[in-house]
Amino acid sequence: MGVAVLVGTRKGLFVLEGDAERRKWKLNGPLLTGFAVYHAIRDPRDGALYAATNFFGGGTVHRSSDNGENWERAEELGLPEDGELKLNATWHVEPGGNGELWLGGDPGVLFRSDDQGVTWQANDAILNHETRDRWAPGAGGMCLHSINVDPNDPKRLVIGISAAGVFRSDDGGESWEPANKGTAADFLPDPLPEVGQCVHKVLVHPAQPDRLWQQNHCGVYRSDDRGTSWERLDGNGLPSDFGFALMLDPSDPDTAFTIPEESAMNRVAPNNRLGVYRTRDAGSSWELLKNGLPQQAWVGVLREASAWDGQQPNGLYFGTQTGSVLASSDGGESWHEAARWLPPVLSVETAEWP
Amino acid sequence: MAVVKLPALLAREAGGQREFESDAATLGDALRALPVRNLCLDEHGELRRLVNVFVDGDDVRGGAGLETPLRADSKVLVVTAIAGGQSSR
Repeated sequence: MGVAVLVGTRKGLFVLEGDAERRKWKLNGPLLTGFAVYHAIRDPRDGALYAATNFFGGGTVHRSSDNGENWERAEELGLPEDGELKLNATWHVEPGGNGELWLGGDPGVLFRSDDQGVTWQANDAILNHETRDRWAPGAGGMCLHSINVDPNDPKRLVIGISAAGVFRSDDGGESWEPANKGTAADFLPDPLPEVGQCVHKVLVHPAQPDRLWQQNHCGVYRSDDRGTSWERLDGNGLPSDFGFALMLDPSDPDTAFTIPEESAMNRVAPNNRLGVYRTRDAGSSWELLKNGLPQQAWVGVLREASAWDGQQPNGLYFGTQTGSVLASSDGGESWHEAARWLPPVLSVETAEWP
Repeated sequence: MAVVKLPALLAREAGGQREFESDAATLGDALRALPVRNLCLDEHGELRRLVNVFVDGDDVRGGAGLETPLRADSKVLVVTAIAGGQSSR
């Protein structure tokens, strides 16, 4: 098994197959042409590919059991007919702890499938959450983009919705509790509200599931109590509080990576210096990793467009809106361009590849 | 039989078939019989935004919508709206 990088773009899905050193990449694709692939995964349980696919009319999910040669589309996916809301887009697919799959979408909705993505049931507790009237869409719509399943207990879930905030469940999604205390929403009258935060990405550390990392519209945060409280970290050497991408090292809960952008108004690398910032002390300090990254670049990286592979050493990957994929096979010390001239990159994931 | 013609993306999702014959009485019945019904219609059973349908040359959104009656020789054209480069994201 080697490592592959699944690159969802505005115009289809590409698969980058790495060599043993993860230095050379064979480009396959595009698959699913005609669809914008907001996110794609390879389910480690059965090797099936899933893609959150969007087209001119809306969003759906495709599944392939032969590494992308043939695709089947979800047969039942939508919000209840007796409600006012409709599914605007599909955003993120995540394998659950048992046989289930989770799917996040716009307008701030979550679905579960227990039949490998053929039919999807909307999660009632999120759809009818008591705080929904205080949620608002961000520039990317009201997207449910982050889904984390506790590796030790699949009933413990943490999700992120922009701009509603972080929510957690202890009962497999039967109920959801806001987990935004101490995270800012500078764009609201109350800058520290219960909900309404514009979380850009929230990740649970797989080896220490009470530790959460968050890149928000207003700051970078860490929680050590599963979101009960958050500590703000972007004053500790990051050039900006704004950004989308967030990466982890599964072997070290104190390590995290962000790719800051200048500001909400100017969503490009700060000072046009495309760089990955790394902390190895739980966010107390951050250092710029730039070896192999362009000195001058006016690019942005979207919230789903970064990933890690968990190999030794850890491989890191991100894609730009200018269609490049940058890769590091040494934990971020050095970077190389794994692909260029792709359509704008919407998502990056890694997979073990046969 | 009426004939339903699909745009390229929907035809590919329908297994490569671009034209379907239909003896349905209404447009809604004809679309609901397609293998790509859930790409033409949303979860409320309504035409998806940016999917336009012409029956014998007339845009059904200005007429009877999915209740538009089909004749035995009706030509149904499903097209994607010209959204002028509007990004899907």
